[in-house]
Amino acid sequence: MEKNKKTLQKTTFESALNDLEYIADKLESGELGLDDSISEFEKGIKLANYCRLKLEEAERKIEILQKGENGEVKSKRVAVKSDTGEIEDDEELQGSLI
Amino acid sequence: MEQTASVSFYTVAEINVLIKSLVENNPHLNNIWVKGEIYNLTYHSSGHIYFTLKDDTSTVSAVFFRYANKNLKFKLEDGMKILAYGGITLFEKRGSYQFNVIQIRPEGIGELQKRIEQLRKRLSEEGIFDKSRKIGLPFLPKRIGIVTSPTGAAVRDIIKVALRRYPNIEIIIAPAKVQGEDAPKSIATAIKELNKPEWMIDLIIAGRGGGSFEDLMPFNEEIVVRAFADSKIPIISAVGHQIDHPLCDDAADISAPTPSAAAEIAVPVKSDIVDEIEYFKIRMSNYITRIFSQNKISLQNVVSKRVFKNPFEILNMRQMTLSDVENRMTYSMKNSVSVMKEKFLKIRDIHQLQKKIFIQKRHDFELSVQKINSSSPLNIMSKGYSVVFDGNKSVINSIKKVKPGDKVNIKFIDGTSGAVIDSVIKEK
Repeated sequence: MEKNKKTLQKTTFESALNDLEYIADKLESGELGLDDSISEFEKGIKLANYCRLKLEEAERKIEILQKGENGEVKSKRVAVKSDTGEIEDDEELQGSLI
Repeated sequence: MEQTASVSFYTVAEINVLIKSLVENNPHLNNIWVKGEIYNLTYHSSGHIYFTLKDDTSTVSAVFFRYANKNLKFKLEDGMKILAYGGITLFEKRGSYQFNVIQIRPEGIGELQKRIEQLRKRLSEEGIFDKSRKIGLPFLPKRIGIVTSPTGAAVRDIIKVALRRYPNIEIIIAPAKVQGEDAPKSIATAIKELNKPEWMIDLIIAGRGGGSFEDLMPFNEEIVVRAFADSKIPIISAVGHQIDHPLCDDAADISAPTPSAAAEIAVPVKSDIVDEIEYFKIRMSNYITRIFSQNKISLQNVVSKRVFKNPFEILNMRQMTLSDVENRMTYSMKNSVSVMKEKFLKIRDIHQLQKKIFIQKRHDFELSVQKINSSSPLNIMSKGYSVVFDGNKSVINSIKKVKPGDKVNIKFIDGTSGAVIDSVIKEK
């Protein structure tokens, strides 16, 4: 149950994208009058902007979890070479959390 | 001569082709494990490995081509007991067959495989691998977690692919040992750690690059399989493998054949989504532009009508209609007033007539009254007649009703007087 809920919450982007497609289809079907077309168009543009915003929400960062002296797990930001995916770090990184 | 001509025969090549197709298409001779001992081992300069596989009674030639043996993690030796995976192929030219080896494991591994199968059965009965336990992957993960060695090829491959597809994605690595004695506990701990809400992970990729059967063993351990199954966050198993997939593949929500493939499954191509959104926007804008210009044309058509060009024209028309109605109303009013007046005058004549009739009627009435008056008893009494009543106020109209000495009343026109009968004389 808890698992399902979690995935449902996360699908807002997908449903926005689906709604956007639905609106584009509906407009092109020509079923709507001018007023409805304009309000659907506004809705569509809002959805498109929302999706574009969502896509930019993440802020490219790579972190690695490391265990502190007191056993607490902390995240540490690391640089990577984007062409090879290799982690560039001067310090020795722990290879395990145990 | 005649006999040979009538008998059908195969060429040598034909018979070898026939046998080759029979052998190589036979499922019992392909994708099989063969147990045996290495003998006559040759590492050829081409990279291919040739040897004979034998047991107590028989031998079979075997070839381990370079493309297949490049992942072999240990050195083969004569006398080594092995399990070889592959299939029988036929060498047509010589009519000989050989075992084409794809993978080799030390024979002791047979025991491990048995253990894995037992574990698979037990966990399967428990429902660990049930489809109903699987959860879908998020369409757009913002932050993905990786469980693998931070120094291995797997982490590099996943990062590389993920960044290429989605340049601003967030990645958090939970380091884990992927081989050795600590590996199972290390992998399970890392998966559990990433499940903590504080790391805000949308999806986990856990695995390692390809390796030998023993290398992949940690991903067959119960503690790891359970960690995959228990993950509340969607988890992709990403263990590089060629033949047997590890148990964690069955416990994960999705399994991928390599870490790179896992990253491709997990992370959408951002530019594709952007293109899709832009495409929808263009479609909507095109439609709106079209419907606007259509409505503009309709509006122009309306505006260019005469009424809007010369609005006074319609006003004049109305003015004329209005005057006409006014005139008609006035005429009609005057007409009805004169008719009424005429009627009224006629009514005055009727009044005169009525007065005359009334006078006549009154005259007639007076005459009738006079007539009635003249026949009234009172009128007769005024001429000198009177009426005699007895004591009971009954009229006495005969001598038979009285005798001398009776008291009677006599009614005159202007009063009454009492009297006593003196005598009764009967007249003829």
